[in-house]
Amino acid sequence: MFRAAAARALRVAARPQFTQQINLVRPQIAASLLRNSQTTPSLLIPSIRFYSAPAGLSREEVQGRIMDLLKNFDKVEDPTKISGQAHFANDLGLDSLDTVEVVMAIEEEFSIEIPDKEADAIHSVEQATTYICAQPDAH
Amino acid sequence: MSTPLRYQVIHVYKELLEMGKSYPLGFDYFRPRLHKAFMSQAHLQDEEKIKEGIKRAEYVKKEIEALYYLKKYRKDLF
Repeated sequence: MFRAAAARALRVAARPQFTQQINLVRPQIAASLLRNSQTTPSLLIPSIRFYSAPAGLSREEVQGRIMDLLKNFDKVEDPTKISGQAHFANDLGLDSLDTVEVVMAIEEEFSIEIPDKEADAIHSVEQATTYICAQPDAH
Repeated sequence: MSTPLRYQVIHVYKELLEMGKSYPLGFDYFRPRLHKAFMSQAHLQDEEKIKEGIKRAEYVKKEIEALYYLKKYRKDLF
């Protein structure tokens, strides 16, 4: 009995404070939400990302990822020769089958599928970079 | 090498490479051997010979498939 009464008294005592606090906080939240959603949301909430939008890979990033991939490829004769302009056969000493493997690795890296004809035309880091940059669905 | 045949060869090479990723002795065992097998035939000029080679590659593909199916019964070997 005593405990229940004490609890009830506490609850009554505590209630006005809570409601006051809520009343104090709520207008601010409402105002900020309204402001954010109606005026310039992208500036005020920078953490929102639209994952369905194209990723927009930069040329440097694509080139860097292709070069990293080549560094991990054990058939490359001289890893110091890997550059943005390196030719697979002339500079890196890869034969046509190795080139096929590199292109397959690039397909996996950027999660795209390159048709046979276009894959056969890629012979250098530069060509690969250009091709990936032209693909809207490369990641 | 005429172009359509070239694409066929590259295609079957890619397929075999993809299959080799789960080869029992490891991809690092499989890849150089596959590479060597294809490179040893790189000199072929006669279309009929190339077609024969592609047929052989298709046959090997089936063999590897069969190997994967039977692998579970041959634990002692791998």
